[in-house]
Amino acid sequence: MSAEGLLLFAAVLLPLGMAISCLSRTIRARAPSLLVFAPVPAMLAAWLVPNGVSVFFPAPLRMTLALDRPGAILLGGAALLWSAAGAFAATTMAGRPGTPGFAVWWLLTLTGSLGVFIVADIASFYLVFTLVSLAAYGLIVHEQTAAALRAGLVYVVLALLGEAFLLLAFVMLAAGAPDPNPLIRDAMAALPASPMRDGILALVILGFALKMGLVPLHVWLPLAHPAAPMPASAVLSGVVVKAGVIGLIRFLPFETALPAWGAMLTTVGLFTAYYGVIVGITQQRLKTILAYSTVSQMGLVATILGVGLAHGDPAAPVLAAYYGVHHTLIKGGLFLAVGVGLVTRGSHLRPILLLTGLLALSLAGLPLTSGALAKIAAKQMLGSGIATIAMTLAAAGSTALMLHFLAALKRETAANAETPETPGQVAPLLVVAAASIIIPWSLYPGLPGMNLSSAVEIGALWTLVWPMVLGGIAFMMLRRLNGLRGALPEGDILVLAEKCAPLVGRVAGTFAKVDSLTRHWPVAGVLLVCIAMLLGGALLSRP
Amino acid sequence: MIASALSSANLFGLCGASLAGFGLFIVIIHASLLRRIVGFNLLGAGIFLVFGAIARRGAAAGFDGDPVPQAMVITGIVVAFSATALSVALLLRLFGLTGRAAFDAPPADASRQDET
Amino acid sequence: MLPANALPAYVTTPGGFLLVLAIILPVVAVLAMLVLDPRHARSVVGATILAGVAAALAIAEELIRTGAALIYVVGGWQPPLGLALRADGLSATMIAMTAIVLPGIAIFARGLQDLKPETRNGRAPTTFWSLLMGVWSALCLTFIGQDLFNLYVALELLTFAAVPLVCLDGRSETMGAALRYLMFALLGSMLYLLGTGLFYGAFGTLDIRSLSAMSDDRPAVSVALALMIAGLLAKAALFPLHLWLPPAHAGAPAAASAVLSALVIKAPIFLTLRLVAEVAPTPMAAIAGKILAILGAFAIILCSVMALRQARLKLMIAYSTVAQIGYLFIVFPLATGADALPPWGTIAWTGGALQLGSHALAKASMFMAAGIIAEAFGHDNIRDLSGFGRILPLSAATFGLAGLSLMGLPPSGGFIAKCLLLTSAVLGGHPWLSTTILAGGLLAAGYVFRVMNRALATPQTPLIIRRKIPARLEVVPLILALLAVLLGFVPLEPLGLLQIGRPDRPAETMP
Repeated sequence: MSAEGLLLFAAVLLPLGMAISCLSRTIRARAPSLLVFAPVPAMLAAWLVPNGVSVFFPAPLRMTLALDRPGAILLGGAALLWSAAGAFAATTMAGRPGTPGFAVWWLLTLTGSLGVFIVADIASFYLVFTLVSLAAYGLIVHEQTAAALRAGLVYVVLALLGEAFLLLAFVMLAAGAPDPNPLIRDAMAALPASPMRDGILALVILGFALKMGLVPLHVWLPLAHPAAPMPASAVLSGVVVKAGVIGLIRFLPFETALPAWGAMLTTVGLFTAYYGVIVGITQQRLKTILAYSTVSQMGLVATILGVGLAHGDPAAPVLAAYYGVHHTLIKGGLFLAVGVGLVTRGSHLRPILLLTGLLALSLAGLPLTSGALAKIAAKQMLGSGIATIAMTLAAAGSTALMLHFLAALKRETAANAETPETPGQVAPLLVVAAASIIIPWSLYPGLPGMNLSSAVEIGALWTLVWPMVLGGIAFMMLRRLNGLRGALPEGDILVLAEKCAPLVGRVAGTFAKVDSLTRHWPVAGVLLVCIAMLLGGALLSRP
Repeated sequence: MIASALSSANLFGLCGASLAGFGLFIVIIHASLLRRIVGFNLLGAGIFLVFGAIARRGAAAGFDGDPVPQAMVITGIVVAFSATALSVALLLRLFGLTGRAAFDAPPADASRQDET
Repeated sequence: MLPANALPAYVTTPGGFLLVLAIILPVVAVLAMLVLDPRHARSVVGATILAGVAAALAIAEELIRTGAALIYVVGGWQPPLGLALRADGLSATMIAMTAIVLPGIAIFARGLQDLKPETRNGRAPTTFWSLLMGVWSALCLTFIGQDLFNLYVALELLTFAAVPLVCLDGRSETMGAALRYLMFALLGSMLYLLGTGLFYGAFGTLDIRSLSAMSDDRPAVSVALALMIAGLLAKAALFPLHLWLPPAHAGAPAAASAVLSALVIKAPIFLTLRLVAEVAPTPMAAIAGKILAILGAFAIILCSVMALRQARLKLMIAYSTVAQIGYLFIVFPLATGADALPPWGTIAWTGGALQLGSHALAKASMFMAAGIIAEAFGHDNIRDLSGFGRILPLSAATFGLAGLSLMGLPPSGGFIAKCLLLTSAVLGGHPWLSTTILAGGLLAAGYVFRVMNRALATPQTPLIIRRKIPARLEVVPLILALLAVLLGFVPLEPLGLLQIGRPDRPAETMP
C-alpha cells in the first residue's frame, strides 16, 4: 500500500484507535489533552495526498478510501477546526468529572465526520455517516440539562429517520449494481439510467437535507447545536453539518442535467437561506443565533448544488465544498470567539470583539475575507439568473443577522465576571481566524474558472458591499421593533410538531389495547383457529 | 349408501373429529385450568382416533392395518401423558402458591404502561 | 399417488454418526446427572459441552469438506417405516449457532450461580443443567429430523424442557407464565399433530424429502399445511399468538430467558421454513408466505411499540423478541414462491439466516446483561436505572452492541441482514415490506436508545448496588454481543454453506 493510502487510512484510524484505547481508564483520563492531535493525519492527508488517490482495503474491511477535490477541501478545513476546538475543549473542560467521557464521544464523532469526506464505497459511507450522526448525540446531551436532553431526543429521532431514508436510497442504488457494495462513483454513473432514479434522488435529498438542516427538516439544529458545550457547538455547526453537504455532493449526479430536481433543491435552499435569517433575528441567545445562521448558510450551499444539478455542472461540487470550508472555519471561529468573549474582560475584550466582528461580517461577504471569495466564486457559476439575485440579497439578510449577533454579544460581555481568559483558549481562536483567511485565499486560484484578479475586481466588490449596506439599514430599522425579540421559540415549527405528541400517544395506546386484547386466552385461542382456517382457506382457494 | 359411508374407518374419523372439536372448545373457552387439561386430553384422544382411521384406510390400499400410524398413536399417547403430568404438576404448584386454579386476565405486569 | 421409492434410498454418510452424537451427548449428560451426586453436575455439563461443540464443529467441517448433506438412517430402516436424520447447510448453521450461544449461556449461568455459594451445588442448579441439556438435544433433533412425526416429538421434548426453565425460581407469577406457555404450546402441537396425520393419510409417508417430491395441490395438502403452520406459529409466538411469550421470557431467570429467547423460539420458525420452502408446492408457498409476512409485519410494528412502552427491562427485551420474530417471517415472501430462482439461492435466504443468527447472539447477550443489572440493583425498572453505565460499564457496552445489531445499524450482523432483506424487498417490488423493515429499525432504535440513555445519564440519586458483580461475569455476554457485531464482517462466507445439500432447482426435485 502506498504512503498516501496509509495516510488516508490513518486519518480515520487514529481517532478511532484513540477512542477504543479509552477503554483503559488511565488513557481515558488523559484523552482530553490529546484531542488536538487526533485530526493531524487528516490535516496532512488533505494537504499532501494528491487528489484522485484511491485505496482499497480487502475483506473483512471491504472499504475503499479516496480523496477528490471537494473531499480534500472540506477535509482540510474540518480537520483544522477539529484540532483547534480540541485544544479549546482541553483547556476549558479540563478536570471536570464528565470530560473523559466527553472525549470519547468527541473522538467517535471526529472519526465519522472526517471519514465521510474520504470513503468511496456506499457501505462504508453509510457506516461513517451513522457513526457521526449517533456519536454527536453524546456531545449534545453532555450537559445533561433538561434542554440538552430534549434537544438530544429531537436530534436522535430525526437523525435515525434520516438514516432510514438513506439506507433505503443506498439499497436501491446498490440493487442495480453488479457488486453488492459498489463505489459511489460507479453507482452514480448508473443512476440517471436507473428505473428507480426519482425515488433514490428523493430519499437522498431528504436524508442529507435533514443533516444539513434545510427547512423544514432543520428543527433539530437550533436546539442541538447550542445545547452542547462551546467547542462541541463549534464542530457541530462547523463540521458535522458538512456530512450532509458531502452527501449531496457525492450522491447527486452532477454529470447529468436534472432541471426539475435542481429547481426543487434551489428553491428549498433559497427558502432556507431567508427563513434562517428571519427566525434567527428574533432569537436572543448567542449560540441559537449562530445556529440559525448555520441553517441559512446551508441553504446557500444547497442553492449552489441545486443550480449545479439543474444545469449538470460538474463544477458545482467544488464550489459547494469551497463555500463549505469557508463556513466551517468562520462558524467554528465564531463559536470559539463567543467562548473566549464571554470570559474576557477589560482591555482584552475589545480586540476579541473586533475579531469576532470581522469573522461575523465575513459570513455576510465582507470584501477580501473568505466570505467574499466564496460568494464571488459561487455567483460566477450561478450566472445571471434569479438565483444570483436571491443570493446577493441573502447577503443583506446575513449582514442583519450578524449585526444582531454582535449586538447581543456586546450586551452579554458587558458584565463579564472576573475570570481571565487563558492562552489555551485564545490560541485556537487565532489559529482558526488565520486559517479562515489563508485557506480560502490559497484555494481560490485552483477553483474552476477563477483567478486572483477576479477577487479584487471593483464590480465584484460592489455587488458585495451594497447588500451589506442594505442589511445594515435593515438591522437599524428592525432594532426598533421590540416585539421581535423572542417572538419565535427555538426550533420554531418544532413546537407545532410537538403538539401532535398526544396523537402519537393515542396511536400507541390503541396498539397497547390490541396487544392486551390478543393476550387474553380465549381471544388468542380463537385467533389461532382463525389463522389455521385463513391459511387453509387461502391454500384451498388458490386458482 | 348410508351404511357404506359409515364404514368403520369413516365412523372412527368422524368420532375423532367431533371429539377433537369438543376438546378444542373446552380448551379455548373454559377458564378453569383443570378443565383445560381435560380438554387437551379430549383433543388428543380425538386426534389419535383420526390416526386410527388413517391406519384403517391405509389398510384399504393393500396393507392389513398400517402399523405406522399405530406406532405414532402410541408415541403420541406417551407424549400426551407427559404433557398432562407436567401441566398437573405446575397447576398443583400454582394452586399451592396462590389458591387459584385459573388465569383469566393477562398478568398485570405485562400490560403496565409508563412514562412517555 | 406416487410411490415413495421413486427417490433414491437414504444412505448413511461417513460423518452421519456425528448427527447421532449431537443428539445423544446431552441426553447422556442428563442421565449422568440423574445418577451422580449434584456435586458432579458441573463437570458433567462441562465435558458434554466440550464434546457437543466438537461434534457441531465436526458436522460443519464435514459438510464443507464433502459439500453434501450428512445423512444417518436410524437402524438402517428406510422411510416410511424408518427414520432418517439429515443435516444440510442450514441445519449445520443452526447447530453451529446453538453450539456458540449455548456454551456462552452455560458459562454465564455458572458464574451467576457462583454469586450464591450456599446453593451452588444444590438441587436447583442441577435441574437447570438437566433442562439446558434437554433443550440442546431437542434443538439438535429439530434441526436434523427428516420425519414430520419425529419432529413433533422433538418439538414436544423442547417444550417440556423449556417450560420448567421459566419457573425455576418457583414464584407464582412465573408458575402461571410457565403454565400459560405450556398450554398454548400444547394447543399448537395438537394442530401440528393433526396435520401430520393428514399428510400420512394422503401420502403414506412423513419423510420431508419424499413429501416435497410428492406434494401436489390436493385439498388434504392444503389443510394439513394450514394446520401444521398454524400450530408452529403458536409455538413461535408470532403476533397475534404471542400471549405466552412476554411473561414467560421476562419472568424466567436470566440464563433461562437467554436460552428461550435466543434458541428455543427458533426451532418452530425453522420448521415453518422447512414446511413452506420444502414441503409446500411453490404456488402454495407463495400464498402462505404472504400471509406469514403480513402477520410478521404486524408483529414488527405493534410489538416494537409495545417494547417501547414497557417499564421493565426484561419485558422490553421480551417484546423485542416478539418483534424480531416478525423479521424472520417477512423472509418468506422474499425467499419463496419464485419460479426463476430456488428459495435458497436468493439473498433473502442469506439475510434471513443472518438475521436468525445475529438475533440469537444479540438477544442472548441482552437478556444476560439485563440479568446482571437485575442482580446488581435488585430490580429492572428502566426509569430507575439512571447511570448504570458508570457502575456496570461492560454490561452497558453489551447492551449497546447487542442493540446495534437489533436496530440494524452498521457494523453488525443485524445490519447486513437488514440490508439483504431490504435489497430483496426493493428488487421484488414489495414497498410495504421495505417500509416495515425500516420502521421496525427505527422503533428498535427507540427502545434500545431508551435504555442507553439511562445508562449514560447522570443520576439524581446514586444507584444502590445490592450485589457486587465480578467483571468476568459481564465478559461472557459482551463476547456474544461482539460476535453479533462481527457477524457483519463475514456476510459472504455463510452463503455457500447455506446452500449445501439443497437441490439447485426445485424442478429437479419433481420427478
